[in-house]
Amino acid sequence: MSKIRICNTAEIPSNGMKDYDVEGGLKVLIANAGDCYYAYQGVCPHQEVCLAEGYYDGAVLTCHQHLWQWDITTGKALGLAEAPLEKYEVKVEDGEIFVLQSSALKAAQLFMDVSGDTLQRLDSLARREKYESGSTLYNIGDPTDDLYILDSGRVEFLIGRDGTSPAGFVLHKGEVFGWAALLENQARRIAKATCLEDSVLLRLNGEETLKVLESDPASGYLVMRKLSTLITRHLGSQGEK
Amino acid sequence: MKIQVNARNRAHHFNATEGEKLLYAGLSGAVGLPYECGSGTCGTCKARLISGEIVDAWPDAPGRKYLKGDDEFLMCQCVAKTDASIEVASFVQTMEAGVCVPAALKGHISSAKLLTSDVIHLQIKLSQPMEFDAGQFVMVQVPGVAGFRGWSMVNYQREAESLEFIIKKKPGGGISEWLFNSQCTGVEVEVFGPLGHATFYPGLSKNILCIAGGSGIAGMVSILSRAAQDDYFRQYRGDVFFGVQTLKDAFFLDEFSRLRAQCGDKLNVTIALSKEDPPASALSDYPHLKFDTGYVHDVAGRHMQGNYENVRAYLAGPPPMVDATVRILLQARLATDNICYDKFS
Ligand SMILES: Cc1cc2nc3c(=O)[nH]c(=O)nc-3n(C[C@H](O)[C@H](O)[C@H](O)COP(=O)(O)OP(=O)(O)OC[C@H]3O[C@@H](n4cnc5c(N)ncnc54)[C@H](O)[C@@H]3O)c2cc1C
Ligand code: FES
Ligand code: FES
Repeated sequence: MSKIRICNTAEIPSNGMKDYDVEGGLKVLIANAGDCYYAYQGVCPHQEVCLAEGYYDGAVLTCHQHLWQWDITTGKALGLAEAPLEKYEVKVEDGEIFVLQSSALKAAQLFMDVSGDTLQRLDSLARREKYESGSTLYNIGDPTDDLYILDSGRVEFLIGRDGTSPAGFVLHKGEVFGWAALLENQARRIAKATCLEDSVLLRLNGEETLKVLESDPASGYLVMRKLSTLITRHLGSQGEK
Repeated sequence: MKIQVNARNRAHHFNATEGEKLLYAGLSGAVGLPYECGSGTCGTCKARLISGEIVDAWPDAPGRKYLKGDDEFLMCQCVAKTDASIEVASFVQTMEAGVCVPAALKGHISSAKLLTSDVIHLQIKLSQPMEFDAGQFVMVQVPGVAGFRGWSMVNYQREAESLEFIIKKKPGGGISEWLFNSQCTGVEVEVFGPLGHATFYPGLSKNILCIAGGSGIAGMVSILSRAAQDDYFRQYRGDVFFGVQTLKDAFFLDEFSRLRAQCGDKLNVTIALSKEDPPASALSDYPHLKFDTGYVHDVAGRHMQGNYENVRAYLAGPPPMVDATVRILLQARLATDNICYDKFS
């Protein structure tokens, strides 16, 4: 976990926001809401638009391009938004604002709502792995052992009897795949997953993940709810409505 | 050419003919590809090429500044040379039954009249009728000027046989110079549409608020015609704010007076003048209309205070005006799904 100094609290207007470029090309948005400071990705998850140019009223952040909105306390999508904002943990020390870059799991939509403790336990299960472009993550018929989260890069899915027809959907950073690892009676993969670029993935063993979730049913319930929405979306996408 | 587009939720397939822009080809195949301006400036239609060969008809398009990798391109400017697979990052749905699927049509300019020194009223007669929703626009290409331009329809009819537009002169602009300096009646043009999401239909059952700067009033007139045809303002309020610099730049005031007389006092039309106080003659010539001084978003903000109950807002005009208006509406706590616009860039 790295700690990066961003700015002085005095630079952020009350119930206002400002963005900063930090090392490594990352743009970070700092927003004030009453006594609290929040830090988010500075660029809209929709298109390359700076969120600091949008509207913010101390509670809701709106991107001025197409009016996607987020709750400033959580980064959750509101209204028209199709994706949440990546949130960074903030520390304020002696009037200085620092941002802690924490686990990539935090960015995974599937785990967005789990409690801090559970996230930490899941984090310790996660293996961060780099794959070269062209590598196969799993094949049709392979055991459904792990669940994957895309951190960077691109992954393609091939379906059909011989695994050559593209399933035709695109994953975003933070999205989960291989979720059959969390399901019963789904012992074998029904698609082939390959990397189209050099990619970084987080892998969690399905059974271990379920154990962690069983020990925190409140978090587990929220994960399962997200998962069922995810599955429905895929069922809905097989053919025309 | 067969095109596969992989979207966030699923894959779609459509055909593109020789020279047809990929965006237009997809949309006419009822694939709801993302777009906004249709003319290379906004970057909304960006996609990534996975396989196949494409050609960029406008490599200098300003919208290319939103592209990251070499394999990214604007669908509204590129045509396919071979079968191709492309990828867009957003959700893409098949257009629902009932929406007007856009198509490429031919037409000719049947009349062109000056409304003010820099605004023209243009009519295009179509070779076949077009069904569109009030508030929509079409892309038009004229011979000798590169690229399509988006113009909002002013009229509203089912199965319209001609489309009417209000076009403001942009000094030095390609189409502007052509329209204002040549004999354009009779000229054959290409039309693609209808496009645009800021539409009105009477089933909406909300008070409507229209805020427009300059030629942005075009789409509002279409919306008002549709509403008036349905007696909409017997039940719902309509507040229209039309911003221009001086009274000399205003047009359609007779039409607004007529609409107001027809629809009754639930319809209010205010002309906002940004560069002068309303002359006394305006008030006596147009007793049905209101006049005020200031930028149209400020005027609308003042008049609407406390009146946002059950309101759907339609905005149109230059991007800075739309941005300023959105800010005022958000401050008034209007929900984003009730703020509708297609920016003019
Ligand atoms: C949704 C929408 C609705 C609009 N409605 C109206 C309306 O009702 N009335 C109105 O007056 N204006 C409207 N506009 C603006 C209109 O489309 C034109 O921008 C305007 O008429 C000026 O055109 P121009 O050719 O004079 O200016 P230019 O600056 O020459 O061109 C304007 C636009 O045309 C495109 N363009 C320019 N060169 C090329 C090229 N080589 N290849 C491809 N494309 C090119 C670009 O998008 C450029 O921004 C609308 C715009 C949009 C996006
Ligand atoms: S770019 Fe932010 S909402 Fe579209
Ligand atoms: S729709 Fe292509 S750049 Fe705007």
